Amino acid sequence: MITDNLYVNIMAGSALRRLMAEYKQLTLNPPEGIIAGPINEENFFEWEALITGPEGTCFEGGVFPAKLIFPPDYPLSPPKMQFTCEMFHPNIYADGRVCISILHAPGDDPMGYESSAERWSPVQSVEKILLSVVSMLAEPNDESGANVDAAKMWREDRPEFERIAQKLVRKTLGIPC
Amino acid sequence: MRAAGITLISIALTCAVIGNAYYQKKQFYPSVVYITKSNPSMAFFFQVIYIQGLILVFMINTFLRKIFFGNLRAAELEHLVEKAWYAVTETCLAFTVFRDDFSPKFIALFTLLLFLKSFHWLAEDRVDYMERSPVITWLFHLRVGSLLSLLFGANLTMIQYAYDSTLAKGASVQLVFGFEYAILLTVVLNITIKYVLHTIDLQSENPWDNKPVFLLYTELIIGLLKVILYVTFVMIMVRIYTLPLFAFRPMYYTMRNFKKAFHDIVMSRRAIRNMNTLYPDATPEELAAADNVCIICREEMVSASKKLPCNHIFHTACLRSWFQRQQTCPTCRLNILRPTTNTPGTRPQNQPEAGQPAPQPAQAPGANQHGQGFQIPSFWANWQAPGAAQQPQGQNNAPNVPLPPFQPLTPGGVPLFAPPFPPMVPLPPVPTPPPNLTTLSEEELRAMEGNMRQAVEARIETLQRVQLLLDAANAMMNQYQTAAATANIPVPTSIPTTTSTAETSQTKVPDLSVIKETASTSAGESPASSSNEPTPSTSRADNETRDEQEMLRRRRLQKFSSQGTAE
Repeated sequence: MITDNLYVNIMAGSALRRLMAEYKQLTLNPPEGIIAGPINEENFFEWEALITGPEGTCFEGGVFPAKLIFPPDYPLSPPKMQFTCEMFHPNIYADGRVCISILHAPGDDPMGYESSAERWSPVQSVEKILLSVVSMLAEPNDESGANVDAAKMWREDRPEFERIAQKLVRKTLGIPC
Repeated sequence: MRAAGITLISIALTCAVIGNAYYQKKQFYPSVVYITKSNPSMAFFFQVIYIQGLILVFMINTFLRKIFFGNLRAAELEHLVEKAWYAVTETCLAFTVFRDDFSPKFIALFTLLLFLKSFHWLAEDRVDYMERSPVITWLFHLRVGSLLSLLFGANLTMIQYAYDSTLAKGASVQLVFGFEYAILLTVVLNITIKYVLHTIDLQSENPWDNKPVFLLYTELIIGLLKVILYVTFVMIMVRIYTLPLFAFRPMYYTMRNFKKAFHDIVMSRRAIRNMNTLYPDATPEELAAADNVCIICREEMVSASKKLPCNHIFHTACLRSWFQRQQTCPTCRLNILRPTTNTPGTRPQNQPEAGQPAPQPAQAPGANQHGQGFQIPSFWANWQAPGAAQQPQGQNNAPNVPLPPFQPLTPGGVPLFAPPFPPMVPLPPVPTPPPNLTTLSEEELRAMEGNMRQAVEARIETLQRVQLLLDAANAMMNQYQTAAATANIPVPTSIPTTTSTAETSQTKVPDLSVIKETASTSAGESPASSSNEPTPSTSRADNETRDEQEMLRRRRLQKFSSQGTAE
């Protein structure tokens, strides 16, 4: 196993080395409420992450699985993130894709509102992405509207939104509603 | 599962038809005759044969895919479905133009094209995947190598076929096929180049820095080829048939990609040139002061690192690959192209500004607060303004930076100007300005910009000249005052003199601080240090102010020259 890793280290490009470094960092000092790592050690470009819903919000108590797909030129280009469980949130598309500015390279602006200051840059990391996603869960940006229904409900009918979120939390935990 | 079901049913049906014929005729030859002659069984048989044919093609396709790609990854399958959808729609659009040529052969050719295309897409995905997968086996090389040569051969054959048939029968749907295969040929070319580059990269121990550059250029050239092909095709189609709507979507994307590749190359070249020439290599002390980890690759910086104007340090190689995408500092997003694009670009724009009256003293500290350095334009304008506006003898200034025309300004020379008409209206003292910058050539201006020792020296020299000018102004002032005292001019007239001196010297002082700030930011020091400098007050008595300013000036110059030597 060690020789394998050594071999990989020598052969791999900078993207792989950086991903390994981040993985190591994340396993040594994991941030609170976040677990992330490659799905299998063969392929470091596809990660799985578990995010716990931030306390004091309607997502509290939930454990939300997501997958991260890294481009070959990571960290020069941002990864893609997609929740693999059902989500109902203004900034998450119906298919689970996460829409936050940290995941967009400067230049492409799907919603046309983000300033380039909050975009992707190599300084960002998996940890920062996941932390941003946690804060996004706590405070949705209802201007972006990846999920228009959720954004509308968040603005106009907060109790109903919270009810749906609680239902999703129970679902992720396998508790019958 | 479903495919297997259809296969089984169609095989059963075929067997039933053949079996029925054989059962009726009992012999091979008569049964063949019966199948081909009998109308209902013919029609049925051929329908079954079509389905059979499709299934056969599908099976061959699956078989070849297994051979060349093994198992497809989920992402590859997704791409395949997405692209196939577009390809089918566009070809259906193409059929509307050629509805007269519609025939089974046509469908066969179309199916073949679709399958060849799908292999191109898969090959592209696979080669892109090379960068990510840690271990590339010899099987991979064998597969990709044989697949690429096969695709290359197939494309050439099909182009040849389309060409021949167009020559023989005139323009037909073969035109579209020929064109599609020509596009596919460029795709194969692109994949092959990528594959070769990746392979070379994999062979070498260290990451190959120039690979992205080659990739960019490949993209540019292939993009150009494709754009030419599309434009030619559209022109031919418009001339012979009608507007080929089906070619517009890919044409648009190709052109956009080409434009992007072109833009990327121009911008990244500029940024990388800046990096190589303007930004200093980080010294070991600077590396030790920072935490010594390149934020791009998260590895230690032991050698080959550069410091950007904003003080952030990165590996040269990492910066280079980042600049191929974005021309900003990864940490603070400072646009690193701005300083150099500004210097040559804004100089002509600033010339009208230079003709305007000298900026008010109040403006100069305001300009200071812009922070962030790169105030060259306003700095030049401020600096040039007094000379251009008030000074006719500015013309005798030599255009050369290192050879200043300062002989008349040496302390001995100043009094010559001083008392021409002592009793007259007290004009503000008019010293010789620094060299006229409009006469400087682009290179000389640029030379003043850089961080190299020479440039810094040139700047210090210019600053010293400014100091001399101020000293001269002081000396002249003294002259005026003594002259005024001896001529017994009433006090009120001398007051404007003093205030105007204070004003001129004040316009100079903010200038100096601007210069210093520009210099310090481009030399990589924090711009914050200059913002809290005391500004001279106008309310003080004349001598006091002058002394204070003198001291301030000295301090600044001292600071600046120490920075220059540290550099």
